[in-house]
Order: sequence, then C-alpha cells, then structure tokens
Amino acid sequence: MPKCTINGKEVEVKEGTSIIEAMQKSGDRIAHYCWHPGLSVAGVCRLCMVEIEGNPRVQIACNTMVTEGMKINNTSEKVKDAVKWGLDFHLINHPLDCPICDQAGECGLQDQYMEYGKYDPEMAEPKQKKHKVVDLGPTVVLDSERCILCSRCVRFTEEVSKTNELGIFNRGDRSEIGCHEGVQLNNKYSLNTVDICPVGALTSKDFRFRQRVWYLKDAETVCNGCSTGCNVKVYYNKEGFFRVKPVYNEQVNGHWMCDEGRDIYKFVNKEHRLLKAQTRQGSANWNEMPAGAAAKAAHEVLKGASADSLALVLTAQYTVEEFEAIVATFVNEFKTKKVYFWINNKESFDSFDGLLLRGDKNPNTKGLLKVLEKHGLTATWAELTQGLASGAIKTVVVAGPENQSAFPDFAERVKELSKAQNLIWLQAGNHSALQALTNNVWLIPTKTFVEKDGTFINYAGLEQKFKKATTIVSEALTLTEAALLLAGKNLAIPTAAQPFLPTNQRPDQVALEARKKNEFVFKRGSL
Amino acid sequence: MAEVKMLTEFYHLPEYQTLEGYKAKGGYQTLPKALKMQPQQIIDEVKTSGLRGRGGAGFPTGMKWGFLPKNNEPRYLLCNADEGEPGTFKDRMMMERAPHQLIEGMIISAFAIGSKKGYIYVRGEYVFPIDCLRKAIQEAYSAGLLGKNILGSGFDFDLDVYRGAGAYICGEETGMISSLEGLKGQPKLKPPFPAVQGYLRKPTIVNNVETLAAVTYIIRDGAAAYRQHGTEKSTGTKLFSLSGNVVKPGNYEVPLGYPLMDLLMKEGGGMKPGRKLKAVIPGGSSAPVLTADEVAKANLDYESLAGLGTMLGSGAVIVMDDSQCMVDMLGVLTHFYAHESCGQCTPCREGTGWLNKILHSILEGRGRLQDIDLLIKVADNMKGKTICALSDAAALPVLSFVTKFRDEFEFYVREGRSKVKGTTYAEMHH
Repeated sequence: MPKCTINGKEVEVKEGTSIIEAMQKSGDRIAHYCWHPGLSVAGVCRLCMVEIEGNPRVQIACNTMVTEGMKINNTSEKVKDAVKWGLDFHLINHPLDCPICDQAGECGLQDQYMEYGKYDPEMAEPKQKKHKVVDLGPTVVLDSERCILCSRCVRFTEEVSKTNELGIFNRGDRSEIGCHEGVQLNNKYSLNTVDICPVGALTSKDFRFRQRVWYLKDAETVCNGCSTGCNVKVYYNKEGFFRVKPVYNEQVNGHWMCDEGRDIYKFVNKEHRLLKAQTRQGSANWNEMPAGAAAKAAHEVLKGASADSLALVLTAQYTVEEFEAIVATFVNEFKTKKVYFWINNKESFDSFDGLLLRGDKNPNTKGLLKVLEKHGLTATWAELTQGLASGAIKTVVVAGPENQSAFPDFAERVKELSKAQNLIWLQAGNHSALQALTNNVWLIPTKTFVEKDGTFINYAGLEQKFKKATTIVSEALTLTEAALLLAGKNLAIPTAAQPFLPTNQRPDQVALEARKKNEFVFKRGSL
Repeated sequence: MAEVKMLTEFYHLPEYQTLEGYKAKGGYQTLPKALKMQPQQIIDEVKTSGLRGRGGAGFPTGMKWGFLPKNNEPRYLLCNADEGEPGTFKDRMMMERAPHQLIEGMIISAFAIGSKKGYIYVRGEYVFPIDCLRKAIQEAYSAGLLGKNILGSGFDFDLDVYRGAGAYICGEETGMISSLEGLKGQPKLKPPFPAVQGYLRKPTIVNNVETLAAVTYIIRDGAAAYRQHGTEKSTGTKLFSLSGNVVKPGNYEVPLGYPLMDLLMKEGGGMKPGRKLKAVIPGGSSAPVLTADEVAKANLDYESLAGLGTMLGSGAVIVMDDSQCMVDMLGVLTHFYAHESCGQCTPCREGTGWLNKILHSILEGRGRLQDIDLLIKVADNMKGKTICALSDAAALPVLSFVTKFRDEFEFYVREGRSKVKGTTYAEMHH
C-alpha cells in the first residue's frame, strides 16, 4: 500500500493505482478527457498533467503509477500552463457552436475552459473542416468537427460492448471517428458512447434538440427495465421525463446501461398514462372519476365478494413495500390465498447477454417471490385459468405492468382475465385492450417507479432502495394506497409511508433543498 | 582522420550482394564464433563496445538488450528499416549492397537475446531493397544459416521481411510494432516498454539496420578494437547521409567524433562553386539546425552535437547554402510533420497542423508579426508532451529555424516575400 502526497495531502492507495485514480480518491480535481475509469488507458488527451517531485517534465497522471513517497502536485503554475496549452490545442479546431450544441451545459470542454482557460484564441487560421451530422447508426449521430478524438467511444466498442464498430480514420488533424466499412454503430449498448463523449460529438437521436440540459433536473433511481436493476439518473422537468443515464455502481452495472433501459422514461410521461380512474358497467359508457373514489367504489364490490371468488394478479413491476401491503390486505382482510404471479416472456426469462441485459424484464421478481413466500402463497396461473373458466373466480384485482412493452402477452392476458365478472385493474399506463373491456371494470391509475419511494430486489438478491423523483400524474395511487382504499380504510394525509423524509422537515422544504442541489447538476464532478 | 571503411568496406563490389560474394570477403565467419560464445558474453561484449543505436535516439544497444526479462518467454528481434527520417538513405544502401551483413548481424543478435523469430520492417517505398533482402534470406535458408539448428549449433532462428505501408510514424519503435501487428501504425503508451511487452505483447528488441550490422564487427574484432574508432562516449563508425548543396552528396562512413566541417569539405567536396555555407541540419529533419558558425565547432558525435543543442539523430546531414530561403525550407518541414502526425495525442495532432497553417500564412503573405512568437510558443508547448517523439521532432526545427534565422522570418512577414530569393511563395514554387 504505497503512500503518496497529493497537493500536500497524504493519500494511501492500493498497489498499481495510477495517479489519476489516487486523485479521484483524494478528491482533487484534475482535468482529463480520454481517461475513463471503465476503459483502458489511452493517454492521448495530454490534459491530466501533474508535476512529480524529482522529475523535470510534467507527466500524465493516467499512465503513471503511484510509488511510495511520491510527491504529486497539479496546482503549480507549470501544470496550469501545461493544461492551458493542452486545452488550447483541443480548442483550435473545435467549432464555436456552443449555442446550438446539444452538449452545452454539460460539456467537458466548456467546463475545463472555465476552469483553466478564459483567454482569447490565438488561432487566426481557418479551422479544419470535417464531416457534420454523420449517421453512425439507429441511435447515435456524430459531428466530427466537435470531436476531440479522445477515443473513449472507440475503446468502449472494443472493450465493453466488444462489437468493434468504431475506429479512428485518417491521420493528424484530419483524423475522424467513424464506423468501419459496412457496419453501423448498432449494438445494445450504443448510447453509452454518447454518455462518455466529453463533448458534443456524439449525440443521441432520441434526446438531441429536445431540451437544453440546464432546464433539466435529475434524480437517481433504479432502472425498472429488467432484473439487473441498473442504477440510473432520470432527467426531468415540468414537461416530463427526457432521458436516462447510468450511475456508477460497482456491484450492479459498473458505468454502463443498455439502450433498452434508456427508453423507460417514455411510459412514465403523461401521454402514455391513465390520468384518471375510469369505470364502466358492462358496455355502458366510461365514467371518469378520481382514483380514490374509484378505489372506494371497488371496495364495495370486494366487500361483497366471498373469499373463494376473489383473486389478485400481480406483475413483478412494483416495489417490495407495495407487494407487501397489497398481499397482506388480501390475505388478512379478504382471507384469500388466490394470489397469482403474472410471468411475462417465460421463454427468455433466464437469458443473459453477458454484460447487463437480462431476459427477465421485471425489476422486482425476487421481491415479489419473497413476499409470496412470506405469506405462503403458492397458487399457479393454471389454477387461475381454471377458476376463470369454471366461473369460480368472479372478481379479479390486477396490478398491471408499468412497462407494457415488456409484456408481449398483454392483450391476450387481458382477454383471459376479462372472463371475470368484476375486474379491478390497477395500472400506470393506458392500453387499447383495457379500453375495449366490456365487463364491470375499474381502471385505477397507479404511480410509476419515479413517482414513489421503494425497494427493488434484483436478480442477485440485492436490495436497492430508491426515492421519488417527481410526480407526473397526481391522481395516481401507489399500490400501498390502493390496498388501503380497497380494504375500505382511509388514507392518512400525508401518507404514513414517508420513510426517507427527515422528521423535522416539511416536504416543501425538502423540495427546496433538492432544487438548490440541482443548480449544480451541470458541474459534473466525474466527467 | 578520414573515412574509415568498416561496414562499407566492400560495398563497391556488386557480388557482395550475394552469399558467395559476401562469404568471399569474410562474411559469415563471425557467426560460428558467436554461436560458440555464451549469449551473455555477446551482450557484455556489445555493452563494452559502447555501441549506440544508429536509428536516431542513440540509446546504448547493450543496455537495451539488458532490459529483457530473464525468463524463457518467447521474444522477438525486430530490425527497423523504415528509414523515414527525411534526409536519411543509409539503410537503403546497406540493404541493397550488403543484405547478408544485416542478416549475419541479426542472427548473432538474436542468439544473444535468445530470440527465435525476427522481422525486418522495411518501408513500403523500398521495393528494390526488399527484393535484395528476400533473395538474401532465401540464400541464407538454403545454406543452413537460417532456420532450424543453424550451423549445427542447436540454435533456431527464422527471419522474415515485412513491408510497411509508408508512414513516417512507423519508424518509431512502438508504432512499428503496432504496424507489424496489423494495426494502425500508432505509437503505444510507455511503460510498458517493448523490451518488456512489445510485439504481440512479448518482450521485443527493436534495432536499426546499421546497429545490427555493426554487432558482427564488434564480435569479429572484439569490443576493444571497436572502441578504437570514435570518441570515448561515441564509439565506432557511423554512416552519414550527406545531402543538399554540396558537390558530392552521398553516404560516407566516418568514425564518430569526425568534424562536421571536414565531412562537408573533404567527403562532400565542399560547397557548390560560388556558394557559401548557411546552415546544416546534422541528424535528419527532426534535429535543430546549425548555423555556419556552429558547424565549424561541431563534431559528429552524440555529445558534441548535444552540446550545440542539436542531435546526431539518424546521421542525415542536410546542407543548405546561401541560396536557400529558411522560411520556405521550414514550410516544407512543417508540412511534412502535419502530414505524418498519427493524430493520437492532441498537442501533436493539432500542433503540427497549427504550425503548418501559421507558416503557410506567412509564406502566402498573410502573416502577422506576432505569428513568429506564436510559432515559438506553440512549438515550445508541443515539446515533451506526447506519447512519442514526433511532437518534439516537429517542434525542434521550428524553434531552431525561427530563433536562428529570425530576420528572414520578420522580413517575410513585413514584405510578403523571401529575403534570400526576393520572390513570393507563388513565384518560388511555380
């Protein structure tokens, strides 16, 4: 365990640690573009210059290992001058199009310029012309002029996705990133290249030109796209959610996430949601009402039903807390053991692509199984089918999927469940199959994973707690609230379950704190 | 002192190219002697001889060999015959006139470092030298000098020629290794150094053609005899490629420490009639230029030239007389480096292009006076900031040209025409 001194502070690091890693550990800021903790060392941006005592030349921190007693400094004038010039070399051919660049506000070049630069350009000659708006594939667009050739994206496709689509072509200041002949940047992780691009060279087709980043707030949560449970950051404002980016978690996803997971923000937004509860008796017209009122009305039906004629269907898309609340309600209040687990895409359930993507497209299968096991529930779907066919099951409460795209059998199952006389369907998103139902139906909107606190248990049994980001549909209920209302109880206001709020702070104070914090979202500590 | 012909003794004989001709003049007689020695003995002998890399950096060869890890991992011996440094043409002659000399040197060196496989990386344009080498390797294989169990010693060594695709940067040892591996010719980050992890991630030694050829003579005559030539720290003889405005340009083998002025005036036959010496680039285009006054003080050895702020480099002596416009000359150099920068490291990728743009602005009459200082600033900040030395190689000529011939640059900016030739860039070149 070598000890070194960084800017006067003593730091102890593991054997084989590079200076830049040691500086990340000690919390010292250091300029860098090409180095990324999840990729190999390229050593080409030449910005992470440090002065090492006894060495006349400044050295790059990313490829120099810490040795015992090393004295490192990156605040001296010599280093600052080296970084300033390194930055100047990056900027001479970089277009000055920040006002129309999508990266503006979270751009590595802008950040470093504000820290080390702030000088007038000395380049009087015309800048290099390169290709603009290069279509790299279905997800990513390249602007070669903005590219600083840090080679992070190239290394990503070589080392992480192992698909090798990208390369650097030509030489000198004519160098450009591009796809190898005959291939496109088309892999399941392609959008990570956009995340790691420190400038606006690679932009996501999905996100580009939709929002300026300084109008977005962010919140950390857990992706509900599959059972891996990648840690993610969702970006939103009052117009809804706009994008999802990964957050580093060594135990789960490392630095990356899949492209599929980046679509999870879409079904959260208003246009895909049930905004109000809807009820319908037979083929009569739909009747809109507040969710709470609909749940109360459903309670009347449930109250009258016998335990044998009552069933609960759960998808593994809700939090452990919600499962516990609704299962406990059914087992204790309604005395039924008929709780069924709606398993989607059974065939690919156990598949895994070796990096992050899992076939189980539910974030909380383990959590649901745990709750079912706790209450000793072992009912199978075949029993439900049989009960519905024989007419023994008359009333079904369904907690439908949040992410309907992960449920290819959705319409089919709706048809199957519609055999029940009364159908109480709790779900966040709208769907045409639900609108076509003609029995006694209560459609009650629920909250999505970004609108509530809770816990997901991933494929490996890791419990991951997350907090609410914001509210999109204020009418919607969590399953916990729905369970209370269905059991005929009243909701305490504010709800009892606010486990993450400090007791001495009111919710609006917490919101204010969060807003203050968000003013610094653009100051990206780890580029 | 005068020319000492050690390597080039029989270069004038056409039959020296062939195995028989080479053998007739004492070729392949050192090899059996070397194969009977202990490998470590050979390495020690080379160390004692003081032989330094002839490719440009002048790194002690024996010390380089000593960096190899002491284990039985497979290792490679690569011969660097890329010879990309502008002004250098010595390796070409060596491969054309005496391919067997290189092969013998390589077998001995491979035996010393324990390598069973070697490659000669030749630049793509050298079609004829490649033919010569291939023919010579064939001959050597048929004579049992290459392949399994060389001369019954139990030592195996295979040798191949690899033709480069023509990039200056592939003359840099790690760039060459990348190219040999089939990758884009780009230098690799050091550490790890090639001696530890090189070609195919195995220990690798890269030596210049002339270095490897010289090993034979060190073993033949012994280190002490080799040290007779040259100076205390720069031992032996070296080939110099003399080019430019002299009467007799060409390759000359002289002992190190030979006065530069003698090379120009005796071997080179002096300046062309009516012309005066203006400047000399002593070690290939990457070396800082020397003025006529400095030339008079310079000796052709590593220390003397380093003392004058320049370097021996690959031994390419480029002579310029008073008819040369230094601004124009530097324009040629900056264009070369901007064209050849591999584009990996930012200071070099952007810096070489920037220098070239500034220089051509000046040449085309758009220059500003502050551009002259800007050239110095940019070049200064490119030095020592990159993975390989190309950035330095591009910066050093700029620094030396601009500081030593500043008046010419200032005149060009003010008048928009050359001080020496009196004409504009367009008139000079069309």
